Amino acid sequence: MGKEELVLNNPLRALGLEEKAEGNGQSMGLVMSRAGLGKTAILVQIALDSMMRGNKVLHISIGESIDKAKSWYNDILSLITKGKNIENIHEVISEILHNRMIMTFKEASFNQAKLEERLDDMVKQNIYKPDCLIIDGYDFNENSRAALIGLRRFMKEQGLKMVWFSAVSHREDSRKSSDGVPAPCHEVDDLFETVLTIKPDNQNIYLDIVKCASCAVKAGLTLALDPSTMLIMKA
Amino acid sequence: MSKDLSNVRNIGISAHIDSGKTTLTERILFYTNRIHAIHEVRGKDGVGAKMDSMELEKERGITIQSAATHCSWKDININIIDTPGHVDFTIEVERALRVLDGAVLILCSVGGVQSQSITVNRQMTRYKVPRIAFINKCDRTGANPERVTQQLRDKLELNAHLMQMPIGLENELAGVVDLVTMKAVYYEGDNGEVIRIAEIPESMQEAAQAKREALLEEVSLFSDELMEIMVEEGEIDTQMIHDAVRKGTLALEFTPVFIGSAYKNKGIQTLLDSVREYLPCPTDVENFALDLKNHETEVKVTNNPDDPLVALAFKLEDGRYGQLTYVRTYQGVLQKGDTIYNSRTGKKVKVGRLVRMHSDEMEEIESCNSGDIVAMFGIDCASGDTFTDDRISYSMTSMHIPEPVISLAVIPVDNKAQINMSKALNRFTKEDPTFRAFVDHETGETIVSGMGELHLEVYIERMKREYNAEVQVGAPQVAYRETITSRAEFNYTHKKQTGGSGQFGRVAGYLEPLEEGDYEFVDKIVGGVIPREYIPSCDKGFHKCLEKGSLSGATVTGVRCVINDGAYHAVDSSDIAFQLAAIGGFKEGYLKAKPVIMEPIMKVAVEGPTEFQGAVMGSINQRRGMIIGTTDEGSYTAIEAEVPLSEMFGYSTTLRSLTQGKAEFTMEFATFKQVPRGVSEELIKKYQLEKSKG
Repeated sequence: MGKEELVLNNPLRALGLEEKAEGNGQSMGLVMSRAGLGKTAILVQIALDSMMRGNKVLHISIGESIDKAKSWYNDILSLITKGKNIENIHEVISEILHNRMIMTFKEASFNQAKLEERLDDMVKQNIYKPDCLIIDGYDFNENSRAALIGLRRFMKEQGLKMVWFSAVSHREDSRKSSDGVPAPCHEVDDLFETVLTIKPDNQNIYLDIVKCASCAVKAGLTLALDPSTMLIMKA
Repeated sequence: MSKDLSNVRNIGISAHIDSGKTTLTERILFYTNRIHAIHEVRGKDGVGAKMDSMELEKERGITIQSAATHCSWKDININIIDTPGHVDFTIEVERALRVLDGAVLILCSVGGVQSQSITVNRQMTRYKVPRIAFINKCDRTGANPERVTQQLRDKLELNAHLMQMPIGLENELAGVVDLVTMKAVYYEGDNGEVIRIAEIPESMQEAAQAKREALLEEVSLFSDELMEIMVEEGEIDTQMIHDAVRKGTLALEFTPVFIGSAYKNKGIQTLLDSVREYLPCPTDVENFALDLKNHETEVKVTNNPDDPLVALAFKLEDGRYGQLTYVRTYQGVLQKGDTIYNSRTGKKVKVGRLVRMHSDEMEEIESCNSGDIVAMFGIDCASGDTFTDDRISYSMTSMHIPEPVISLAVIPVDNKAQINMSKALNRFTKEDPTFRAFVDHETGETIVSGMGELHLEVYIERMKREYNAEVQVGAPQVAYRETITSRAEFNYTHKKQTGGSGQFGRVAGYLEPLEEGDYEFVDKIVGGVIPREYIPSCDKGFHKCLEKGSLSGATVTGVRCVINDGAYHAVDSSDIAFQLAAIGGFKEGYLKAKPVIMEPIMKVAVEGPTEFQGAVMGSINQRRGMIIGTTDEGSYTAIEAEVPLSEMFGYSTTLRSLTQGKAEFTMEFATFKQVPRGVSEELIKKYQLEKSKG
């Protein structure tokens, strides 16, 4: 088994993000849940799927350390590869990880202009040109619609295929958009092609597909997550 | 020395290079009356700091070997190990942490948590060492203890809290506010030796009160009693706070942070008080040994002086009067004149002289209690050996020893130098397990290997200075390795039966990759097709093949050699015949087992102004490096990458010129990885050329 089989066997395939990761289009995605339910685990699965397809991913972690982000990748990668007979496993993993760079910012110091400046520098100097951005810990309360529109413009300029965000929703805030996207993203939901929410129910955890343009799954579908690994469970 | 172990503190002082550890130790020795004058690390008086006793250390201003020292503060006895800051000497830091009960982590108030602090913290976590932090250099421009404390939380994930507030900062640093006693502490007199306790300046009272409340809220999590009093808004006893902080610190769940400036003689006495209050005594810490008589079962050492002796030799030094062995006792009493046993060798040795070390000076003692750190004279042993009395056979858990990653050839200029070099190498390899020496049988050259360029450079220099061994040094070489990636069978007959006594042996089996470990020999011979007496000969033959792989001449690792068939001759088979048959079999199987060349990959951390981020990243990319990530620290950025060691030679010069000298980097061994095809081809070609030249 090689890298291609890993892509095919990845539980995340159930979402059907092929077109987003491999096509020429551009899309923004959002993973939402209350604090501590596993948004980063889902974002990392999306990033790994993209990396395994040969895309370069820039993982921006706001308020967390490089080591923490790195350990998420190591953990999920070992879960995906566990029990699979992959030839030259170390080489395959090394090749996958070459497609990732982590950038960490403090909560207070992160802003769109700074990100654009850093990324622009890297691309111009031919150091790293990402195809996909993962922005974990973005503060939707503080950032206006204008900032997200700015990011969409930036995505186009840089030729990025995907930008994925995580956002924290709060139990006490019941506001929702007409599509069912919870606060604080209910007023910017039109800027996202895909919105996934993580919901706990007793001992189980589910991934709700709130909206998903050009996916294999339809909005309204719920997928079960394995609570111990946060991987999508096979039906 | 008191027999009460609660009065003993075995502590280490660890930090990033140039954070002022040695300066701080110098002040501790001064305030505890062990020395009567303060000398700076690179002071104009030319004396050098007390703990940097090696000539080379004084010259370079860095600590190379950790020196042990002893002092008393109030009612406690403190054993201090000053540890090196440079990552090439990590084994020294690791060894110190193995035997210490607590540590002081020093940070620069401007530089904050730097790459080496992260390494040291990781080591402290590995050995479960409770720690307190000291933010030094608060007199420097840009000092910001709050920011550094936040970094301790963010980068090291420590539950760190300031126990003090600075009264003034940078060149106005006058003292500290103690948030436990709620008093101002000033360090006065020529050398800060006069402590003046006063009321908190009015302008700081409100802020101090708020900070104390935040601190108490955190600390109360470790004491129900304290929490109750806080809820009832009762009066809080100072000792109760100390107890709660101590409890949290010992559980590794809280890190008290202190501030000061060793250079300006501020904050040291209060730091010593905190060592007394918050760091563990030997009985607070659990240590385990392996019972060699009971299948290496883990047993807890008792700290009881009445139990049989268990002592660990953690450091060797060759002094004027012979080998000096630093030991830490874990139970029992070590006495002058005692006969003790080395668990590794089973040899009996007599304790001649027992001394307590004070850097390079010593004080004779008659005995030492459990939990103490002392030195013995004239004991022949290696670093890491355990000593016991004849009633038990314990070995303290082995220490984590990293593999050397760099090597170079040393050629003595004459016969005298050859003899002296042998003496020096014999001692250095005993002292430092990360420093190795061997003779390359093909070239006849002596090769030394270690953890980095500086590591080897220092030993070469010591060879010249301490042993008068004049040597020429070859260019540093990366310690490549070879390994196999698939299973392959072999069936080889060694036959030489043309006149005279013949040689015959047939060995068949297979080679396969070994996930963990360097080499494993498996004997699956049944029915005596190879007689038992020749089985070790096969093992020996395979072993010989590991010295040099056939691709690049590098050491072969990660191979399991299995023999399952063979044949012998009643007259012509011999030890050598089966050794040669095994060598032939290995060669036959090796190339079929898809061998590859592996190279050491270093974890590199570069810290520098953000404006140079692009240039630094570019330089890492050019070196076949993989950038793991960047951390934005405002005007500074830290870049973490993995780069092959072979590409890192001369990087300091490149980095200096790229960043106008404003960035610095550290590196440590991360792992071995397969070299890319192009590099592999080059290495093979080079080796073939060398071989053809003979």
